[in-house]
This record gives sequence, C-alpha cells and structure tokens, in this order.
Amino acid sequence: MKTMWHIAVKDLKYLARSRTAFFAFLLMPILMMLMMSYIFPKMPSKITGKIGILSYDPLFEKSVPKNKEMIFYKSRDDLIEALAKNEIIVAVIVPKGFTASIITGKASLEVIPNPSNPQMAISIAQMMAGSMGKVSFSKKISVKLINIDGGKFNYYDFMAPGMMAMIAILSVATGLASSITRERELGTLDGLMVTPVKRGYIVSGKIIAQTIRGLIQALLILLVSFLLFNVTIRGSLALTIFLLVLGTFSFIGIGIIVTAGMRDQETAQIVMSTITFPMMFFSGIFFPIDQMPKFAKYLSKFMPLTYAADALRKVITLGVGFEFIIKDILILLLFAVVSTTLATIYFPKLVRD
Amino acid sequence: MKAIEVHNLKKYYGKVKAVDGISFHVEEGEFFGFLGPNGAGKSTTIRVLTTLAKPTSGEVKVAGFDVVKEGEEVRKRIGLVSDRLILYDRLTVMENLRFFSKLYGLDESTIKKRARELLELLDMWKWKDTPVSKLSTGMKQKVNLVRALIPDPQILFLDEPTLGLDPHTTRKIRDFIKELNKKGTTIILTTHMLHEAEILCDRIAIINRGKIVAMDTPRNLKHLFREKEIVELELLNPIDLSSFDGVMKVLEHTGDYYKVEVSDINTFLSMLSSKKVRLKSIRTHEPSLEEIFVKLTEVGS
Repeated sequence: MKTMWHIAVKDLKYLARSRTAFFAFLLMPILMMLMMSYIFPKMPSKITGKIGILSYDPLFEKSVPKNKEMIFYKSRDDLIEALAKNEIIVAVIVPKGFTASIITGKASLEVIPNPSNPQMAISIAQMMAGSMGKVSFSKKISVKLINIDGGKFNYYDFMAPGMMAMIAILSVATGLASSITRERELGTLDGLMVTPVKRGYIVSGKIIAQTIRGLIQALLILLVSFLLFNVTIRGSLALTIFLLVLGTFSFIGIGIIVTAGMRDQETAQIVMSTITFPMMFFSGIFFPIDQMPKFAKYLSKFMPLTYAADALRKVITLGVGFEFIIKDILILLLFAVVSTTLATIYFPKLVRD
Repeated sequence: MKAIEVHNLKKYYGKVKAVDGISFHVEEGEFFGFLGPNGAGKSTTIRVLTTLAKPTSGEVKVAGFDVVKEGEEVRKRIGLVSDRLILYDRLTVMENLRFFSKLYGLDESTIKKRARELLELLDMWKWKDTPVSKLSTGMKQKVNLVRALIPDPQILFLDEPTLGLDPHTTRKIRDFIKELNKKGTTIILTTHMLHEAEILCDRIAIINRGKIVAMDTPRNLKHLFREKEIVELELLNPIDLSSFDGVMKVLEHTGDYYKVEVSDINTFLSMLSSKKVRLKSIRTHEPSLEEIFVKLTEVGS
C-alpha cells in the first residue's frame, strides 16, 4: 500500500521537475477553459450576412422590396463565386413559378449554405422563408438544403475539410516532437551535428521527411472521408492535396522551433499540445469564426490552420479553383517560408549545449 | 602543426563553471588522456573540441582550425565516440554505417570496403545486417567505433568509450585503439579509469573542477608525489628494522612481512647487506596513479 504512494509521489515529482513541462501542464487547463468561453459568444450573436439569390421566377424578383441584404445573381456560377468570396452567407435558388406556388402551399426553396458558417446560413434561410410565408398566406415554404451540385447538404461537409487539415497538422506536430527530441535524448543528434554536413541540411532533411509524412496522411484522410463519409471533392483533387501538404508545411517550422529547444520528449509533447489545442478551436474547424467574439477572431488570424481549413472548404465543398483561395495560399506560404527559415537559422543554436 | 591547441578555454553554463580556464596542446599522433572525477569538465571540454558546444571564451584550434569560426573544417577531420551511442537502434549495422558515412560524402564502394575492414577487425562483420537494437552493449559500442572510423578521422575523440563494458570487450577496444594510434591517428580519451589512462596514454591531463591540476606522462605523474620510497619485504628471520639507516618509518609489520618507508633506497639496501639480513622477497611499492589522482582531486574539496 505504502509503496503505491511512493510511486505516485515519484511520478508527480518527476513531472514537476521539468520547469517547461510543469508550466505547460498548469497552462493547459487554464487555456482550455479560457478558449472554450471565448469561442462561444456569451450573448446570442447577431444574425448578419447577405443573402444571394438566383431567381428563375421573374415575378419573385419584382415582388421583393429592394434591400441591401439581398443580392440577385444572374447565373449559378456567379452565385457560387459570391459564396466563395464570402460576399454572401447563404445562396438561395428560387425555382420557376415560385410566387404562384406559394398560393398552393407547395412552394419550396433550394438553399446552399456557406461552408464557413453553415448554422448561420441555415437560420438566415429559414427566417427568410418564414417571413415570406407570413407575408403571403401563412402557408409554409419548405427549405431544401443542398450542395452546389444539387446533392443533399451534409453537416459533415462543413467539418470534413477542416478536420483533414487539422489531422494532417497534428500528426506532423507529434512527429516532429518525437523526431527531434528523441534524437537528442538518444545522442544521435550529437552524431549528426559532429559530421561536416551543413546544419541547415539537417533541418531541411527533417522538414522533407515530415512533409512526406504529412502527404501520406493527407491522402489517407482523403481516402477515408471519401470511402466512409461520402465526402465528395467538388473541386480539383490535386489542389486539395496541395493544400493539405502546404498546410502541414506551414506548421513544420513552428514545430521545429518549439521542439528543438525542449530537453526531452515529454516536455516537447506537452508544449506541442498546448499550442495545437488552441489552434484546433480557434481556426474555425468546429465552430465558425464569424460567430466568435472579437478576441477569438483576432487570434484565429495567427493560426495557419485557419487558412488551410478555409481554402480546403472552398475547394472541397464549393468546388472553386485556385483564384478564390490565392489569399489563403499566400498566407500559408508566408507562414511556411518565415517559420522554416527561422527554424533553419535557429536550429543549431537551439540544439546546442 | 599541433593536433589540438587550447588557450585559456572557459565554458560556463549560467553560473556553473564547467571548464574554468584550461590550456593545453596535443601533438599530432599523440594519445592524450583526460582524467578526472565525474563532473570535472572532461565531457564539456570534448564537446567544445568537437564543436558541439560553443566556448564562453578562449581560443580552441583543432587540426589547425578554429572551432567557432571554422567548425565545418574541424568536423571533416574528427570522429567522436562517447558512451552515448551515436546509432539508430531500428536500423541495421550497415544501414547506420552507410547513413553516417554518406554525411561525409563518401561513395558507396569506399564505405563498403572500409566498413568490412573495420567490422572484421572487431569481429562484427557477421552482424552487419542485424538491427542495432538486437546487439549487446559491447557489440553496439564496437559498431559505434566503426561508425566514427569509416571517414578516417585525423583526430578521434573517445569520451569514456569503455564505460559499462565487460572486461573482454574493453580489452578488445583498448587494443584496437592503441593499434589505431600507432598507425598515426591522434586520440583524445577521457576516462575516470586510471588504469585505462595509464596503459593507453602518452600524456595525461588530470582535470578537476574545470581546471587542469596536473599534466604529464603517466610515469612522471607517478613521480610527482614521490618524496619517499615504500619498500615491502619478507624476511627469513624477523628483526627490528626501525633502527636501520635510511628507514623513516615501519608502516606495517606482521610476522615476517614488513612495509617500510625509506628516504633513500640505496642506503637501506646496503644496510640490509651489511647486517646480513636474509630475504625471502623484496619489492618497491610504486605509488599508483590512483593515489595521485585522489590526492590531486582532493585538493580544495
């Protein structure tokens, strides 16, 4: 019995002896709590966002009073483009003879939510349908949620792209944590540093290995989403893979900087999760950034995952091409170039002594 | 050219003075030993010499190149073996050797040839395709040594290379590095095993608390503290030796065994023969390096 306590005490003492690990251990629950309370707005958020309308019913366009919240588009492509550019939060397709069918009570609207914030999009669409129903003859107007290709909207479509990016980044983060700190613990890092190989090449080599690792995992994620969860990639497959790899690449430098300075694997892993957890919550994967309070929105701008998830969502769910995600790509590239350059410069200093 | 020149090297970790102003040089082809208790600064010195740690101050040249400014040139010419293995345990012996050798820019055929030669010398050739994790501690250290030697370094650093190895392997490794030194490789060895330093090294620096407290050949170091001789003898007929000329003190006397401290061994011997003392055996007791080591490293602690 007593010995059991001895073991417990030793384990706790061991944890407390690494200052970094202990600090991260204390910081993590605090951060998590703060995060959780910050990403969810304390007050029900104001419903904002413009509605894009593609009308096949000439009567409808005339009967709706002009307002700033509704934008009419000429073609389906324009409508999707507007979604991809975040000009509108929801796209509504009004079928032929809609106005007439309101009277018969068989009216229905097709609605494509913006994947960056589907809940908001859905509630706006329902409000719109509801108000139209009241204006006319208190008949219900049914709202059909669809994807851009006309298939049924699936909430998973919103989550899947972000989750793909997240899993790829997280696995690279853990891979890095062990790759560098394990070599340091084993002593093989000294072995590498004592060869005439350029120090930059040691880091570059590690970056290449981790990127390949990320690529393989990205492909697996795609395969699983495709086979098990029916996620269809509406845009280009090559672009999707490119984004997944770029996403992981943008994080590798940060990972190297963090782990190279850590003494042991345990500390590196704790510190890594202290960084990756907030990233998961603040980058709009589970909860739309639009609905987060200002502070959280601000923070989300510093997470590479935010941009990777945004770009992937546009390519996978909206099926748009390169020109709509160029901003995301540039920011990810900036993250990647700056962090890997810093990692290459500071790596020798970080691992020294 | 000197293989190693160190002038007033200091290495501080915060307030800890790991190495506190040491100066020494090592000739090309020399077998030089660093001897000191744990934490004396041996390994830190090696880390600075192998460019793994940056000196706080002082000038350090290895193979004629400055370790700070010309680190890459230094690294081309050195090999490192320490008690921490520089081997990947999930890779096989050959995979490890190939990987590290390629970092030196060696081509495949040279690597194969050198690896075979060296592995055969250490009876390790038959293990070439075994993962390192499956090898015994001694075998691992042999492979570790081969790894350091394939690029044919001018200077080989051995940081406690026989730590934790069985006597058989230890001997094999010692013979091997002795042979290597004879063929011209400069070797820097750190150890806290006095015996090892004594049989291997041309010169030894005794280091304690970051400072070199003595540096000389093993022979001269032994004479350093010798102001008197200690003689052990066994006599056929016990007599009182304390009154003999030259005897300072009888240290021990049991039966026919005597251990005496003498000021001059020749006076003592002629006294013995003039008194017609009959001996069973006599030998001078050499102060071991161990005694000197303890004496030197006790100073100030």
